[in-house]
Amino acid sequence: MESVVSFGLALLLAPLFPGVILKTKALFAGKQGPPLLIKYFTLIKLLRKGSVYSSSTTFVFRLGPLISCAAAIMALLFFPFAGTAPLIAFHGDVIMVFYLLGLGRFFTIVAALDTASPFEGMGAAREAFFSTLAEAAIFVVLILFFRMNGALSLAAYFSGSQPISIIGSQGALLLLVIVALFMILLTENSRVPVDDPATHLELTMIHEVMILDHSGPDLALIELGAFYKLFFYASFIACLIKPPPLADPVANTLLFYGVIMLLYMVVGVVESIMARLKMDLVPKYILTAFALVFFAVILTLEIV
Amino acid sequence: MDILFAALLLVLAGGLAPLALHRWLSAAKVAHVSLVAAGCLTGLYGVYAAWGQSTPVLFSYSWLHSLTWSLSLDSLATAFLPPIFLLAPVIALYSYDYLDAAEHAWRTAVNHFFFSLLVAAMVLVTLADNMAAFAMAWELMSLSSYALVLYDYESEETQRAAHLYLLFTQTGALLVFAAFGLLAQSTGSLAFAQIHLAPETAKTAAFFLALIGFGSKAGVFPLHIWLPHAHPAAPSHVSALMSGVMIKMGVYGILRLYFLLNDFNPLFARTVLVLGMVSGVLGVVYALSKREIKRLLAYSSIENIGVIFIGCGLGMVGLSSGNRIMAAFGFAGGLLHVLNHALFKSLLFMGAGAILHTVGARKMDQLGGLMKTMPVTGRTFLAGSVAISGLPPFNGFVSEFLIYYAAFQGLGLQGPDFLLSMAAIIALALIGGLAAGCFTKVVGIVFLGEPRREHAHAATDPGPTMGAAMTLLAVACLGIGLWPEPFIRFAFAGLRDLAPLAAVPADVLGAVPHNLAVIARVFVGLLLALTALRRLLYRGKPVSQNTTWGCGFTQATSRIQYTGASYSLSIVDFHRPFIKTTTKFAALARIFPGATQYSRKVEDLAEIGLHRLLVRPVLKIADKLRWIQHGHIQLYIGYIVLTIAGLLLVV
Repeated sequence: MESVVSFGLALLLAPLFPGVILKTKALFAGKQGPPLLIKYFTLIKLLRKGSVYSSSTTFVFRLGPLISCAAAIMALLFFPFAGTAPLIAFHGDVIMVFYLLGLGRFFTIVAALDTASPFEGMGAAREAFFSTLAEAAIFVVLILFFRMNGALSLAAYFSGSQPISIIGSQGALLLLVIVALFMILLTENSRVPVDDPATHLELTMIHEVMILDHSGPDLALIELGAFYKLFFYASFIACLIKPPPLADPVANTLLFYGVIMLLYMVVGVVESIMARLKMDLVPKYILTAFALVFFAVILTLEIV
Repeated sequence: MDILFAALLLVLAGGLAPLALHRWLSAAKVAHVSLVAAGCLTGLYGVYAAWGQSTPVLFSYSWLHSLTWSLSLDSLATAFLPPIFLLAPVIALYSYDYLDAAEHAWRTAVNHFFFSLLVAAMVLVTLADNMAAFAMAWELMSLSSYALVLYDYESEETQRAAHLYLLFTQTGALLVFAAFGLLAQSTGSLAFAQIHLAPETAKTAAFFLALIGFGSKAGVFPLHIWLPHAHPAAPSHVSALMSGVMIKMGVYGILRLYFLLNDFNPLFARTVLVLGMVSGVLGVVYALSKREIKRLLAYSSIENIGVIFIGCGLGMVGLSSGNRIMAAFGFAGGLLHVLNHALFKSLLFMGAGAILHTVGARKMDQLGGLMKTMPVTGRTFLAGSVAISGLPPFNGFVSEFLIYYAAFQGLGLQGPDFLLSMAAIIALALIGGLAAGCFTKVVGIVFLGEPRREHAHAATDPGPTMGAAMTLLAVACLGIGLWPEPFIRFAFAGLRDLAPLAAVPADVLGAVPHNLAVIARVFVGLLLALTALRRLLYRGKPVSQNTTWGCGFTQATSRIQYTGASYSLSIVDFHRPFIKTTTKFAALARIFPGATQYSRKVEDLAEIGLHRLLVRPVLKIADKLRWIQHGHIQLYIGYIVLTIAGLLLVV
């Protein structure tokens, strides 16, 4: 029951936090910014509309939003929000999670190519390239976590006798991991400095340009999937930096969402003070994250 | 075993009947398909019947009192037989509509004959229990597949590809037989059962010789050179059989020899694992860079052989370091990937064949928008692409998951084995991402978007048997993904008779297959629920059609679409030192530039290396020795006399 509630809460609250990013950015720009609930309003607006489909597209174009949203929801099913046991957990589930997210990406890419638009093709090519590198970096994180507590499951990482946490005995290593995971979060969720969700120029976009032709409820599904995916990565990092769980489940949950709020604010700060990288620098950026985690793995050779 | 012989006879009859009936082409084809299917179903039943028996079934036959043929059906053979028996009838079904040229009736009949021969030869390779039987079956397999590649024998390109294949397969066989010779010399017997008695040095030498030989059949990097030439040249059903099933015989050979040697040298394990990683990553990078569908698929086979090698290599590392769970998962993952790859690679080659058959274009950048005109081909190809990218809920994920599982087990090891396990995980992750990139490219460029040339408009779905074959395989790919339990158990059962793995606890699998099944089904359920929700959301809403948003540009033509080359450019360039690209582009000059050209060529590093290190020196030496060939017959006889005299003196 507890698991269902925490999963439901995550589904419900995930669209709130991107509003936090916008608010933070507005603060930096000295503007009032959109209301905090802006993303909910956007979703409702989109759900009320119809759609215009390109005559070039096929059923694959309509399948893209469905699969990317379903994959993101699946990823949340495995996640122990605020320490409550997730709905599904088994040894090896992280591999499944990242492959499901890969499936979502596969269909986002083919849906983009379905429109016959050169811009969307460009975005698709970039997405395919950058996400491959990011995936390799993520698997190094999994290797490190396996070295640290022998688990291969999201639930088991953050529970049991040796939870992976910054206050644990191997916290120093996790500093590297947190930085790297944050860099991957920015990459995988198309944020600055890899991608700019707010730019006006299609040529420079990655994710936004791939969904140019989607509209109405289809676009709402894509947006929702993107919120869940960002929420998944943010929760991952939040579990690493969160202080030890409190006895009261409500206080614990509040603490967890507080940490997440903080993370989204950091994303907002990064977006406000950084420009996006040139496209050819992005691989180097992702490989920096890879190198950081790899270095952490090498350090475990001595510790364990 | 008797059932299997009956199966072989039926399959062979399916090859001979078309030769007799070639005047009535349809009758010949019907006879071929039905007899092959009957034979393969009988064979499957035979495998199933043998599955329950705890000891291997043996058979031996003495020929001319000097050569003994012995066959045995143990668990490793039962793991490799189902891909053959499952794929052969489906591919035969596909060939019914694919080989429809009435003017080539005799050629079709001959093709059917060699097809049956190849199927029978592969079955015999897996059954062989001594060197003589294995060598015979192996040669039969190589020669019949050579004849199959030569279907279009008038074309010079086909001839060259076939000769290259023959060269590779015969050199490979030479090395395998050399390995057998070494072992037979030190044990004094041709029987497989005696091999483990050979001394250490003979074993090591034999393993590496055979690894090169079998590796060139399997198409592992850098011994893969024949694959990307032979597959585009061969008819598509032949490519499907060769790439889906035949190259796995190389994997079978390595596994069989490894277990017969019974020598768990860490060097063997590490070599196989490193070969797998190199082959997997470079295979998929080269696949990304290719422009012809069938050539791309050939490189993708090299990648998948790499994945299978990673699985087997992890299994071997597990054995040499005493981690039996890792060993079991590694080998089982490899074995399951053999079956899975057979299914989706045959499916993809059939799709490529359907396009060739109806549109006639080989290059991806000339196609586009085929999903609308070829719905069956497009949908099944999409299913195959998701499966080959190793994504859930399809079958490719199941076997890759088992291999990941083994690799993570390996992280508990020390020293180089730990590093290799870690490298294997990173390599698998990279391969997964790149394969997804590669197959989004094929699906996106060939089937989606707008047609890039006129002829792509005229495409239609191919004949019903081709569509049926592709649908069957696509359903099988999804089926294994949704119901993986029996198939995972099948792969683990393949390890049953292998002595070193006998100590693996029976419950090693635990809930793994069940969990995979549940997640795949939950995902499909969620997807269906979302689809229903979407339908509900769209009820009563205005839905209209318009052109694609051109970012303000209104006169878009289909030529401004992203091409396959542009899609893969940056990924390929990222792997620069391992892949050689030459770009020819005259930069635009002046304010009103004239016509310009852009061309880009990707060369295979292994091919360049082979040319530089082997072909050129050999040609050079041969050139220097030209004076030996002078045309005087009496001197030639003199050479013979001198050689014999020399041999008599020395030996």
